[in-house]
Amino acid sequence: MMKISLVTDSTCDLPDDLVKKHDIHVVPNLIIIQGQEYQDGKGISRQEFYERLPGMVSPPTTATASSGTYQQLYEDLLRLGSTKIISIHAASALSGIFNAAQTAAQVFNQHVFVIDSGQISLGLGFQVLEAAEAIEQGANFEKVIEYLGKIPERIRVMAMLDTLEYVRRSGRVSWMSAHLGNLMRIKLFLEVKAGEVLRSGEARTRRKGIERLKQHLVQLGPLQRLAILHTNALYEAQQILADIDQKLPSSPLVVNVTTVIGAHIGPNGLGFAAVLA
Amino acid sequence: MSDSMLAPISEINPIKSINGRMLQKLIKAGLTWLRTNQQIVNTLNVFPVPDGDTGTNMVLTMQAAYDEIKDSKETNFGKMAHLVAHGALMGARGNSGVILSQLWRGFARALDNLPVLENKDLARALAEARDTAYKGVVRPVEGTILTVAKDIAAEAELISPVTEDFIDLLERVVQAADRSVQNTPALLPILKEAGVVDSGGKGLYFILDGMLRYIKGQALDISIGTVQPLSEMVFLNTLETVEPGQDYEVIVDFRPHNSLDLPVFYGTLEQMGTSIQVGEGDGIYRLHIHVPTPNLYSPIDYTRSIGTVTKVAIENLVDQMENKNQACDETQPIVSPIEPGQIAVVAVCPGAGIARVFASLGVSAVVDGGQSMNPSTQMITRAFENLPTDKIIILPNNKNIILAANAAREVSVKDVAVVPSKSVPQGLAAMMRLIPDGDFKGVVQEMELALDEVQTGEITFATRKVEIDGVQVEEGQIIALLNGKLICSCPNVEEALLSLLSKAHAEQYELITLFYGADILKTEAASIAENIQAHFQDQVVEVQEGCQPHYHFIVAIE
Repeated sequence: MMKISLVTDSTCDLPDDLVKKHDIHVVPNLIIIQGQEYQDGKGISRQEFYERLPGMVSPPTTATASSGTYQQLYEDLLRLGSTKIISIHAASALSGIFNAAQTAAQVFNQHVFVIDSGQISLGLGFQVLEAAEAIEQGANFEKVIEYLGKIPERIRVMAMLDTLEYVRRSGRVSWMSAHLGNLMRIKLFLEVKAGEVLRSGEARTRRKGIERLKQHLVQLGPLQRLAILHTNALYEAQQILADIDQKLPSSPLVVNVTTVIGAHIGPNGLGFAAVLA
Repeated sequence: MSDSMLAPISEINPIKSINGRMLQKLIKAGLTWLRTNQQIVNTLNVFPVPDGDTGTNMVLTMQAAYDEIKDSKETNFGKMAHLVAHGALMGARGNSGVILSQLWRGFARALDNLPVLENKDLARALAEARDTAYKGVVRPVEGTILTVAKDIAAEAELISPVTEDFIDLLERVVQAADRSVQNTPALLPILKEAGVVDSGGKGLYFILDGMLRYIKGQALDISIGTVQPLSEMVFLNTLETVEPGQDYEVIVDFRPHNSLDLPVFYGTLEQMGTSIQVGEGDGIYRLHIHVPTPNLYSPIDYTRSIGTVTKVAIENLVDQMENKNQACDETQPIVSPIEPGQIAVVAVCPGAGIARVFASLGVSAVVDGGQSMNPSTQMITRAFENLPTDKIIILPNNKNIILAANAAREVSVKDVAVVPSKSVPQGLAAMMRLIPDGDFKGVVQEMELALDEVQTGEITFATRKVEIDGVQVEEGQIIALLNGKLICSCPNVEEALLSLLSKAHAEQYELITLFYGADILKTEAASIAENIQAHFQDQVVEVQEGCQPHYHFIVAIE
């Protein structure tokens, strides 16, 4: 009897109830705030983190869980009866998570299969969810892998940054090192595609930016899944959802994004992750 | 120059046909006469803002046309006409320049390889010129250079069957041009309101008249009509650079003892300096001239010798220039590098500060230019032809530059789109939609949609007394324009800004961006912005150094 286990990391932004329901194993990333290390989601709430972020004297830094952590988890899962492990992670171009998992997987030969989702937040989370549902419907390992290979092209992830300060400091977006927007206050739109963070226009005001975000969403057409993402902008996130009034097969999520991503985005960001129908 | 410009007698009489060499001479004559009368054309600006300097733009366009042919040994008329058209197209500046270049283009196209031009060919070429020019304008307006082109084509069509003499026909054409120009106020209410004739049409008249004067052996370098009404004298002393021999600006008011002999008067002044203008009102003459330091007092001494001097004003242009340089940071912008296949944006920017803002938003090339300094088609193409991509978007950022941008699109082998931004705020709004890696057509469409997302305010000064849109304006007064429409004249810049913002209902918007001009100091701009903020407490007020000339402030309300 084949038993496939799913592993991901905390950048997936999947809510706890879904994680429990589908028995997904989420490895927390680390965030270091003024010298103190926290596991993602523990010790400091997302809301509190974003409230404190602008006032932090030294900017918080992030770190991936060690290869050892992944190795330990894979070992435990295999010992407890898993025959295959699919480990799906944040875009390798943006973080070292994939590498850490990949290194750990080598020890287990064909048993652990590590996938670069090319995405972050629910762009990753939705891939994990799709895999979980496929497994629950009885798909075998090869089928699940094949299916996972086709999902990324249906995924759209976009964010509107309220400020350029954090993304510039993070150095994760290569073209940001230029002088983009260093004279005017702008709301930058970013799109994540195949591991790359692309520039996707700007807006001069927040109101216009939110309108654009809604416009982008509506233009996507029918959706299978949708999450409105925010960094402490819950009210506006809910408002976006109410305004677009899209019919969806599954109930849409509204997610305050993990601090590990949010540290590079800053507070008051808004965005979405969607899977096209 | 006048001696060599005189036509040999042999070319006066038999003119039943003319060849390419003759066209070369006629072009030079048209250019020279237009240049002599440039200031007159410039002062025919309808709107009381320092506008696109129609005369200057047309001269630069004709100069480019002449540069193209001046060394040519071509004798074929049609081929020479094609060279003229090419030169005019590449050097076209401003709307009037672009329309002029279209006239030449149509003119040349009708003639192709025609060795010599006869009257029937001229009629045909003028008709084709008219058609091409009309097609080059999105919404042709009557009472402009287009109407003049139409009227001279009609006259040529009417007269060419009855005379074979080129001089005869040209004379009739010039007369028709003159009548047409005089009639422009009847067709275009805004001209009537301002009490002027159309400037572009007048420029075309001077070109044709210069050709006729050359054939008749009349002088081309002394204007006979440059005495303007005093109230219409405009001195744009906001120079971009001070040329050698322009150390001082001298303005002298005087009452001549006897009636003024203009050719002698001009001839004498030309020995002293440049940028000469003469105005007259109620027997008082006003002389304006730029002179080098050694000649500082010459114009005053000279006018004293021929009349009674009533008033003298002297300004040190060099010093003015240096002060201006201190006020504004002229640091050149750092433009974004572009990769093959990406979309590159070229923005026309009327000041170093505005150029830096555009650069910070990711434009790949900047072209200097704006109000009263329209860049040529060539300047625009040169800005992007060496970029390592074929996808180019041009933001003209001024309504007078849109046609030159369109011309640049037509001459380029690259895939060029013009997003017709009429102002700096519109251009910036469009930049917000730039996705360098996006689908070209889609991005262009998005940028076009963005143009209307912002309101544009401008604070400048009136260059003439006028009443427009029911607003009475005195020369020199501060005026405010909202989306190009005159809304008020005000005692000072700050009140103009407040009136503008109130008229624009800025309280319903989110962000007010103030780009302060070259004549406003940073501290001054900051204090004005503070007062604006006090009136609009719910809005964000952002101040940017614009460095633009003529405009104290350019304002984006969004």
